[in-house]
Amino acid sequence: MGAASLNGLVFRFAREDGGIGAVTSSVSGVEARLKALMLRGLDGDSAAQRDLLSALSGYLRAYFARRLGRDASDIEDLVQETLLAVHLKRASYDRAQPFTPWAYGVARYKLLDHYRRIGSRAEAPLEDAGALFAADDSAPREARRDLGRLLDGLPERQRNLVRDVKITGLSIEEASQRSGMSASAVKVSIHRAVQAMARRARDEDR
Amino acid sequence: MKTDDLIAALAADASPVRRSAVWTRWALALLLASALSALIMALAWGVRPDIHQAMRTTPFWMKAFYTAALGVAGLLMVERAGRPGVRLGWGVALAAAAFAAILALAAHELMNLPMASWRADMMGSSARVCPWRILAISAPVFLIAMATLRWMAPTRPAVAGAAAGLLAGGLGATVYGLHCQETAAAFTAMWYTFGMALWPLVGAAIGRWALRW
Repeated sequence: MGAASLNGLVFRFAREDGGIGAVTSSVSGVEARLKALMLRGLDGDSAAQRDLLSALSGYLRAYFARRLGRDASDIEDLVQETLLAVHLKRASYDRAQPFTPWAYGVARYKLLDHYRRIGSRAEAPLEDAGALFAADDSAPREARRDLGRLLDGLPERQRNLVRDVKITGLSIEEASQRSGMSASAVKVSIHRAVQAMARRARDEDR
Repeated sequence: MKTDDLIAALAADASPVRRSAVWTRWALALLLASALSALIMALAWGVRPDIHQAMRTTPFWMKAFYTAALGVAGLLMVERAGRPGVRLGWGVALAAAAFAAILALAAHELMNLPMASWRADMMGSSARVCPWRILAISAPVFLIAMATLRWMAPTRPAVAGAAAGLLAGGLGATVYGLHCQETAAAFTAMWYTFGMALWPLVGAAIGRWALRW
């Protein structure tokens, strides 16, 4: 992203947030930091993807808590569903565009989808992307729905692979050695497992 | 599953995404869709027998440019509509400009005709079938465009569905132009436009549930 477009973004936030200097600089700092992570993640950097999703989870939690009420039981479910969408839909991000409006667009869509599912008439006003990045809540709640349980319908191999990489933190290569599958087969299996989780996370409440 | 565990699983799934991923997907989708449309046209009605002479005339290219411009506008819109957080871009302006141009051509044409022959000019010989044939020929494009949109992340599903419909109508009508022998700008402005507007209406209406992700 060039300096000119970054300045444009800063200006936009500055105007719509009432010109508070601290907010302006922090949001543009978030944009620069998250966009760099997103670009590295798109190039296949797992560590960057993990940092990106961790950072986003804090903003998402605070955003959904503000919209649904601090004690709503489905905040963490919605955070997880949105993280799955951010990950699975990342090809739809245009590298020439700022990242925060894209992430805000995904989060707001998932919030509206949630409202529709629970039959709520609440509305989510279309705000500036800054609305998502105004606060950070990095203390995870208990998820009401257990995505891990959703894995139970998967073939044992895929399930084990996901557990290997998530709980024991194995790399693809280590998981591939342990399971005796090729690294690319491990990748395909994990991807299928992730897609299955996303499908079931969306379908369970219907 | 704890959120941190989910994040770890997703990070393990972070394989590289090519920069060209979106356009490659649309290119393949449109290649397949155009082939199916051309097949419908060829099997159902056939290419006009005088196509070689027709390609040396202005009305042929007027129709082709009008319909292709709307198809390109639809493609530009659909690519934007599938990406969260971006504006719709130039597609809307291009569609509006193309429509304004065909209206101007039609008006100019009618002004140079006696009022008594306006009706014949506007109705041609195929007004009754033209829009429905365009609807049929565009159907595979519409279905494939909707499927490709679902692979992306449309956050305004009605707009996205309408854009997919415009892409389908524009491409389908361009293919139909290889069969249709009508030459009047007034005919094109009325009946082609009507035919191309049908899928956008369907797309806008069903977008909310058909494009859910």
